Amino acid sequence: MELTSEQQAILDGAKGEYLAKCVRWLVQWGDVMGAERLIKCDNTHALLPVPNLMARNASKDTMDLYMADLKEACQHRTAEGCYCTVHAAFITTEDVDVPENDPEQVAMHNELADLAADAGFIPTFTCAPYLVGNVPVKGEVCAWTESSAVVYANTILGARTTRHGTESAIAASLLGLVPEFGVLLDENRKGTVHIEVSADLTHSTDWGALGYFAGKIAGLGIPVFNGCRRPSQDEAKQLCAALATSGGVTLAHIAGVTPEAPTLEAAFHDDVPEESIPFDNDTLQAQYDALRNITGDEIDACVLGCPHASIREIAEFAHLLNGKKVADGVDLWIDTAKGTKGNADAMGYTRTIEEAGGRILTDTCPTNMRIPYKRIITHGFKQAHYSRGMIECESIIAKTEACVRSAIAGRWLGD
Amino acid sequence: MGETIEIRGKGVVGGKAEGEALVADATLSFWGEVDAVTGTIIAVGHPLEGERLKDRVLVIRSTKGSSGTPMILNLAQLEGQAPVAFVNVEVDGLAALGCIVNGIPMMSELEEDPFEHIVTGDCVAVDADAGLITISKT
Repeated sequence: MELTSEQQAILDGAKGEYLAKCVRWLVQWGDVMGAERLIKCDNTHALLPVPNLMARNASKDTMDLYMADLKEACQHRTAEGCYCTVHAAFITTEDVDVPENDPEQVAMHNELADLAADAGFIPTFTCAPYLVGNVPVKGEVCAWTESSAVVYANTILGARTTRHGTESAIAASLLGLVPEFGVLLDENRKGTVHIEVSADLTHSTDWGALGYFAGKIAGLGIPVFNGCRRPSQDEAKQLCAALATSGGVTLAHIAGVTPEAPTLEAAFHDDVPEESIPFDNDTLQAQYDALRNITGDEIDACVLGCPHASIREIAEFAHLLNGKKVADGVDLWIDTAKGTKGNADAMGYTRTIEEAGGRILTDTCPTNMRIPYKRIITHGFKQAHYSRGMIECESIIAKTEACVRSAIAGRWLGD
Repeated sequence: MGETIEIRGKGVVGGKAEGEALVADATLSFWGEVDAVTGTIIAVGHPLEGERLKDRVLVIRSTKGSSGTPMILNLAQLEGQAPVAFVNVEVDGLAALGCIVNGIPMMSELEEDPFEHIVTGDCVAVDADAGLITISKT
């Protein structure tokens, strides 16, 4: 890779050892991925994760070494003009009475969050930064973590970001640079697989089902959806999250919706493959069936807000819960960002939800916190997929209304 | 002595390592599908569910999904539970980043289909500097 003299100087240590290491990471990563240069990046969504129970039983040495790296990163400043938000955490800073919110780790998180804020990182702690102000424009070069948000930025906003991890997003934030490869380049944004949608997508979870199906087929490729209407923001959120769950998708095109894909032809750069894969109502139902392997119908948790809920979704949840009562023995969680909860408080939604026995959880989600449940119901394909392994539960994917009805009944009532 | 097979390929992240192969023609997400501290694959229904990554050469199609991949790999490495090398059909940028940061060699673009020649339990020597893997059948 060719570096400018300024980049080379940082690599040689002109700005200290840590920034030299950051350049080295980006250069090595760029070399591996076929980049020829580092380019300017002024929007990042970084992961600064205190692992909480993700590191259950880890040794003190491991934790010390792990935290030392993150703290060192936060002793620097984010690059001038670089807008840096922070990904969801593995704990919550709200006062919740669950033992999984380990006070020692909360203290570690708060210490790191303070350092990060001093460094210039905005403490959004969300998996959906586009709901709380980080909304890049078409063509903007970003360095985002959170695979679902990466797909959203590329697909819905037309911004450009490869999938980042902890180290690369920190390096991009501090340097304002990313290696130029993958979907940052026009030629790598061409669709690879054509999915013709004939199914009736009537609910945001149906869009999740479409993403779950397409991710399995596309792998690391670029699916192109044709024949479907324009999704709402919440529907697009479910589509993008599911694409990154069953596959390693970075970018998808929705013909007529994705900014650079006004037509099917444009999505494939005028090279539409002969074969297309149908997504019909039977295939839609099969995605639901795949995440409903249950041995009983009692539930002990209902998880809403995966990815983090928008204020519109919280309004819907509050409406569904208004005057009702969540069954004893069921935890109903609505996961969202602090900024969104502020609006929910102001609108009275939080009160309605709490009066019904539900709780709004900010900064994280129950699965990231590893709260153990036996059987959860959720509207998010991502949550339904990963919770099974992460908290060893059974999961049921269902539309919002069915989730809430089941939470009130204490058992899965069907669609 | 059992049979030995050599396959050439592209060294993605340099380095040398040797270990017992853990093989599946499947994808894997480190966040959500691997427990960092025990290095165990926890993905329900995954062909490698329950397998440990420690000292293994991980032969899979690619990693997928989460940007948590390098983080989980980092924790696993610090705990001594990470795989010693990756042999992947497709290079997922996040696995590559995790390998770079943690000094784990990675190979791809093998001249032969790895799933035809490597089975779980084979001893695999990975030389990502030379672009060569050597498989010893037990």
